[in-house]
This record gives sequence, C-alpha cells and structure tokens, in this order.
Amino acid sequence: MTPAARDRLAQALREIVGHDGVIFSPDELRVYECDALTTHHRAMPDLVVLPDSTDQVAGVVRRCAKEDIPIVPRGAGTGLSGGAIPVQGGVLIVLTRMDRILDIDVANRTATVEAGCVNLAINRAVMPRGFFFAPDPASQQASTIGGNVAENAGGPHCLKYGATTNHVVAARVVLPDGEIAAFGCRLADRPGYDLMGVFVGSEGTLGICTEVTVRLLPLPQAVKTILAVFRTIDDASNAVSAIIARGIVPVALEMIDQETTRAVEAYAKAGYPLDAGAVLLIELEGLQTEIAMEAVEVEAACRAHACLDFKVARSEAERTLLWKGRKSAAGAFGRMTRNYYHQDAVVPRTKLAAVLREIAAIGEAYGVRVPNVFHAGDGNIHPLLCYDARVPGQFERAMAAGDEIMRCCIRAGGTVSGEHGIGIEKRDYLRLMYSDEDLATMRRIQQVLDPRGRCNPGKIFPETGHAEVRA
Amino acid sequence: MTNARAAVRTVEALREALGADNVLTGAGAAAYRVAGAEPTAAVVPRDEADISRTLALAFRDGLGVIPWGGGAHQSLGRPPSRYDVTLDLARLNRVVAYEPADMTATVQAGIRLTDLQQRLGAADQFWPLDPPLADRATVGGIVAASLAGPLRCRYGSVRDLVLGVRMAHADGTVTTAGSRVVKNATAYDLTKLYTGSYGTLGVLLETTLRLQPRPAVERGWLLRGTTIEQCHEAATRILGSHLAPNRVELLDEACAGVCGISEAGSALVVSFAGVGEAVQDQGESAGTLAGEHGLRAAEVKNSADMWRALQDWPWPAHGWASSAVSVLWRGSVLPSDAGKAMHAVRDATSGHGDVAIAATASHGVLRGALRASTGDLAARGVAAAREALTSLGGFLVVMEAPKALRATLDVWGPMPAEVKWMREIRAAFDPKGILNPGRFIDAI
Repeated sequence: MTPAARDRLAQALREIVGHDGVIFSPDELRVYECDALTTHHRAMPDLVVLPDSTDQVAGVVRRCAKEDIPIVPRGAGTGLSGGAIPVQGGVLIVLTRMDRILDIDVANRTATVEAGCVNLAINRAVMPRGFFFAPDPASQQASTIGGNVAENAGGPHCLKYGATTNHVVAARVVLPDGEIAAFGCRLADRPGYDLMGVFVGSEGTLGICTEVTVRLLPLPQAVKTILAVFRTIDDASNAVSAIIARGIVPVALEMIDQETTRAVEAYAKAGYPLDAGAVLLIELEGLQTEIAMEAVEVEAACRAHACLDFKVARSEAERTLLWKGRKSAAGAFGRMTRNYYHQDAVVPRTKLAAVLREIAAIGEAYGVRVPNVFHAGDGNIHPLLCYDARVPGQFERAMAAGDEIMRCCIRAGGTVSGEHGIGIEKRDYLRLMYSDEDLATMRRIQQVLDPRGRCNPGKIFPETGHAEVRA
Repeated sequence: MTNARAAVRTVEALREALGADNVLTGAGAAAYRVAGAEPTAAVVPRDEADISRTLALAFRDGLGVIPWGGGAHQSLGRPPSRYDVTLDLARLNRVVAYEPADMTATVQAGIRLTDLQQRLGAADQFWPLDPPLADRATVGGIVAASLAGPLRCRYGSVRDLVLGVRMAHADGTVTTAGSRVVKNATAYDLTKLYTGSYGTLGVLLETTLRLQPRPAVERGWLLRGTTIEQCHEAATRILGSHLAPNRVELLDEACAGVCGISEAGSALVVSFAGVGEAVQDQGESAGTLAGEHGLRAAEVKNSADMWRALQDWPWPAHGWASSAVSVLWRGSVLPSDAGKAMHAVRDATSGHGDVAIAATASHGVLRGALRASTGDLAARGVAAAREALTSLGGFLVVMEAPKALRATLDVWGPMPAEVKWMREIRAAFDPKGILNPGRFIDAI
C-alpha cells in the first residue's frame, strides 16, 4: 500500500471507528506483527482498527472490501498457530474493545457476549449464579471468546465437556463483504446446514464474529482433584487407558513428565515429586456420592499400573496448588530454556505410551530437550521443543524434531492440531491428514463466503491452494 | 420421472457398472417408495467403489438419487422432486475400527444402530443416542437427519457425537473430513455441515463416533402434576440444580395416556443413570424438588417400556389417531418456553383436532401428533400449531402426514435469511442437485 493510499484509508476508517480507533504509527503497529506464535513469521499490518460495535466492524469490512484490502481479525493475540499474523498486510481488526456481556439467560442456560470478552470474564459473571462456561484454554485469563471460536479452543476440561464447538450455539458474524449474518440459533434442531459448526474453527477466514452465544452448564456439586505419581511415562500412559476402560470419564486427566515437574517445582512449588517419571493430575466432578465411588475406581486403575503415590487434595487450597503447578508450566519453561516451540497434536489414547517413547527418541536423535505436559485423557499432547536461538543450528534442529513429531502422530492415527489450530504454523502438515480433494471440498465453503479470498488470507490452507481461489 | 426409454438406459448402465445382481427393478425397486414415488432402480452397492460408480453415472445423466439406510425415517422431508435411483447402504454395515479404551468407533454408514449398540455393549459402552424407530435406523440415517431422542438431555445431540466422516459426493468423488480422534482443530469441520444435511451434500460412507461408558443402571421417576406449566417449573428446577438427569421429558395428558404412563393430568418423567447409590440419591432429590412445585413422585418399575415409547414418540400416536387424519410434527422453542408452548399449541389447535405432545425440557424440543377428522382440518391445525410456536420465537417441522395432505403442507416452514448461503453451499457441493432433490429446506 502506498503511503498516500494508507493515509486515505486511515482517514476513512477514522470516520467509522473514531480518531482513537485507528493505530497508524509504525512503533505502535509493531505490537501486532505476531501473536503467541513467535517462531515462524512476522508481518506488519498496514493499519490496526479497534471497533466498538458490530456496525463499526461491518463498516470497516465494507470499506476494505471496496478497495480489495485484506482484513485480519484479532482478539488478545494469544493464538499459538499464527492465526492473527497479517501475512499479506492489510487492516488488522482488533476486537478487544468489544468486551461486553450482553445477556445472561439462566433459564435457558446461555450467555451472549461480545467477541472481545475474555474467556474467564464469562465465568466470573456466571459462576455466582451457579453456572460455568466449560472450555478452559490455558490462555483463558487473556484470550477472547472470538479467538476461542476462531481456533475451536480446548483446555483440560474438554475431556468430559468437549471443546468450544460443543458450547457455542449462535454468533453474529460480519461476512467478508460486510454483510451482517446470524449463524446458529438458540433453538435446538433448526433445519438447515450447520453454518455455526463450520464457522467454529475457521480461524477468521470466513468472517468476523462480533457476538457469541455460549451454552452454560450448572456448577457441579463436588470436585475431587488427585495427584497420581508414576515411575515411568509408560505406567502413567497405561493408567490413563485403564481409567477410561473402567468407564470413568474424569473432567480432566493431565500428564506432567519429569522434566516439567522439576521445572514447575523450582518455580511454583505445587508439591509435585521430583523423582517420579510422570504424574497424572486427575479431576472428578459431579455428585458427592458419585465421585467418591469414581475415585475408588481411579485409584484401583492407577495402582494396577504401579502407581507410587495417590494423593487426593483435601482442601480447596490443596486443589488450587495442584492446578497451579499445571497452569504455571509455561512460565516455568520460560525460566528453564531460553526459547521454546509449543506443539499441539492428538493421538488415540491407546497409542500414547508408544508415541511418547518415539518422541523421546526423536528428541534424543536431534539433541533437543522435549518436556511434555498435556491433556492425556484425550490424547492431546503438547511437546515443548527447547532451544537457544543464540546458538547456531539449535532452532533448525528443534523445528526438524517438531516436524518428525507431527509425522509420528499422524502415523499413529492422530491429527496435527487438537486445539491450537493451523494458522500459518501447520499449513503444510494438513496434507498429511487430508487429500487435495478433501481440502478442495473445505474450500468450497470459503468460495461461497469469501470468494475473493480477502478474509485472513494465507491461513489454514497450503500455499498453492490459495492461488487457485484468488485466480 | 424419466420417460420409459431413458429408464431402460439407466437400468442397463447401472447393471453394466455394478453387475445385474446388485440392481433391483420392478417389485424389488417398489419397496423403496418415498412419498408415493418409486425409483426406476434400487442399487445395493457392495462397497464404496460401487457407490462412487453409481453416483458418477447419476451425476452424468442428472438422475435423482435417494440414499437409503433402514428406511425408518424416509417420511421426513418434502416429496422428492425427482427420484430415479435408490442407493441402499445395507451392505456397508461393518465396524471398521473399534478400540474401547479410545472410546471411539469407526463404522460404515449402513450399520443398524441396534447392531452397533450390541457390539459396543460387550465393552460396556454405547453411542448415546436414542432416535425414534431405532430398530430399523442406521447410523448413516441418524447422522443425515440429525436424529436425537430424550437422551440428548445428558449426552448432547448427533453433532456432538460424530468426530469424522468419509463422504461420497454427488459426482462420486470420495473425501474425508474431521478425524478419528476425540479432539481436532484442523481446518473446516465439515462433519458439522454434513450432520443434519439430509443427504443433500453427499452420501455418508463411514463415520467415527464418540462413545460413552454405558451406565450400570438407569432408573425412572414419574412426577405427576395438574398443569403442564407446573411440570415445566419442576423440570427447570431440576435442570438448574447439580443433579445430572439422563432424560427430562414433559408429557401432556394425551401423550402420557397413549404411552400408558399415567391416566390423568400432565406429567414430568425423569431418569438418572450411573452407579446405584448416586442414582437413588438423585431420584429422591428430584422428587423433593418437584414436590415443592406440587408434583407427586413415584418411581416407575420397568421404566424401559416407558422410555421406549417416549423414544419413538410421536410415532406411537398412530394407534391413537387410527380413525382420523394424523400429522406427526416436531418443533422447538427456548427451553424456558417449553411448557407455555405445549399449552399454546393445544389451545391453537383445539378447533381443528386434538394434539398429544412430549417435550425434551432441557432443549425445548417438542414432538407431537395432531389428529383431525378431515385433511382440511388437519392442515388448518398444523398452520395454527406453527403459528403458536412461531409467536413464541420457535418453529414447527412436519415429520409425517398422509400422502394427499402432504403435498399441500409446508413441511419445513419459513426459513431465515441465512438460507441464501445454504442454497449456495448446496450448489457448490451438488451443482446438478441430484441428491435427495427437492426434499430439504427451501426445496434444495
């Protein structure tokens, strides 16, 4: 974009979103050159706008459509696959000003919020009324519901409750031409194609949601949090399958390996043992009587796999501490390694032990440390590839190891992302899962809603595919 | 319908592509009647390749194709605008992969639900759906029509329980969407788009299902009240509490009577499932909560029969309406309006006929039968019932009606503005409109 064109556009957008709603100076724009994916690619937007209403979003989108300028939606910028990086420049539409809670409908167990509303803010608003919103990505203190919808965010509690897609019933969406549409419906089983279902996880390529209606669940009567300690990762993995095989579905079933427990203990003092090969953090929710019986079953399953210690949190303080360890893993890694690349993949639960062994071998072969802390219950692993960007060759080795890990997960029958999405990070891995025809079929939806490929271009689909659409 | 010569050509081409044994005509094809229309030929493919071949041929010649599972729910939708070939998936009935500890199963679309549940039951698991007429229903049909029953209260609907699919598209191309694991965030989730698309975007070949542990016991309680509103209040209390009911069904007096559940007044029936002690506790707590709204609670012995009737509802109403014209329908309102909606439909239809209604309180889904002495009165009754639900912000869909009446009824009702995108999606997936032509919304 020429400086003159940029000036003109900025002026036009200021008329829509107000003077303070347009970010123009290069210094301020630099903040937006990447999201939480810092290992791959950075790109500066031409402009950033901060709309305050659906109408303003629609106005901005219409204006950009008129001039064929790419638009890229962004929430809090916590995404881990680069979905909010403006790889082709254009206008970055940041929704953080739209953070209002519009409606809490206890009788129908729904809440309607603006897209910039932070995940945890929904829970703060509905918990006093006896309800909660289930998806709990690690970023939930910062990430917005709009971003959660775009990436189909997950979290530890997905094991029982499912991911964002299972908890979003409707959304107001500004389509790539600026039209405002209503996807989904608060009514069950309305006839028609499930546009809402396709929109969730579409990573901002089909439009920008500005309001989201989510499903609320009643708070459980009781919660029990357990720490089970194992000598080896194999034992812990087998215990995971054994718990499920007994017909127990915990709300969360997290595995933390030895390298991580050590890092976490040095940082957060959660009371994890330092000599264990792996620990499982297990949470049960429901009726008091029910989870008491489930805990007995869970203990038996763990003991059958050489569990060294089985500790049930006896107070809310103990429970919080156990979770603090899990939740501070990212912070702990920050102190343990200069740089890291946070991966995301899913394998069938029953393949966990074998895949984790293979990942350890890959790490060794490439000379890369790969601690792992992840959602074991649904086979959603998060290998962390550690490197020091200052040492020549380390970054490349970490990336090469990461590539091998992705291939290993696919061979095991898994998928290349469980909750972080594809963004720019994993575009080339999609072909490991899907044929050209599979991808072309998905792109039919894009051709209907964004025929000119202007909405978050360069995301999800492998490079060549996009050229076809634009032609 | 094609003219006679074209029909002969179609049959010859199919026989050549698939072998004469796999192509039925005459009386064999007549068994696949839909809304009075008979296909020229019914194909019973041996495998996916047969399906692709059939579709490629139909696509080339612009033939109308109806995919067929168990035929249990072919009454749904509008009459086909064109019907040449049936694609009967009966032979695609294998369990492709099942690993109990993964709590997923990959199955072919033609597998009967009852066969699948039996297989999963050996590992104390199940696919937690209880659609109506389940004896004949296949997994493919259940996904295509997104058919859930009262169990959705606890386990969600079909879209929550399908993880991935293989589809044959209108031109015979086969693609995959979703995955075989329980969590997936890779590109567009077309699995959702296909679920509930009534076979208009492709023929489902194979699907990976999310399974659940089958509870050791399920027990049911009957909570009797005077008015439906009173029962609805009690249902809302139970659903907003920490109890985790399996099913919460509101029944008007007629439905409760036809199902042999109670003789007078409205009823709320609930069930809890899991381990013994917790089930007992929850049943008692529900009884206490309902008691505060003036309902009388009693456990239902042998509740399986009751659930069976309610799972099939409104089809059991056929006997009740035997000497009259009957229309089966479903509708939705917000859950908070479920009681009001049942009342409103009864009032609105009272000059035209009688209604018998059950509602899944957690989701605001009503399933009803309307009986009237003439077709004309039945049509007016449907319009009045639709108007009553629409004025509460809801909708009504006709599920089954006598042939003569059906042609005059608006099966799906008015569509929202977003239907224009659906129309474009349909055109992108099936440009010649050969799959279930004319049967879905907007005559798609």
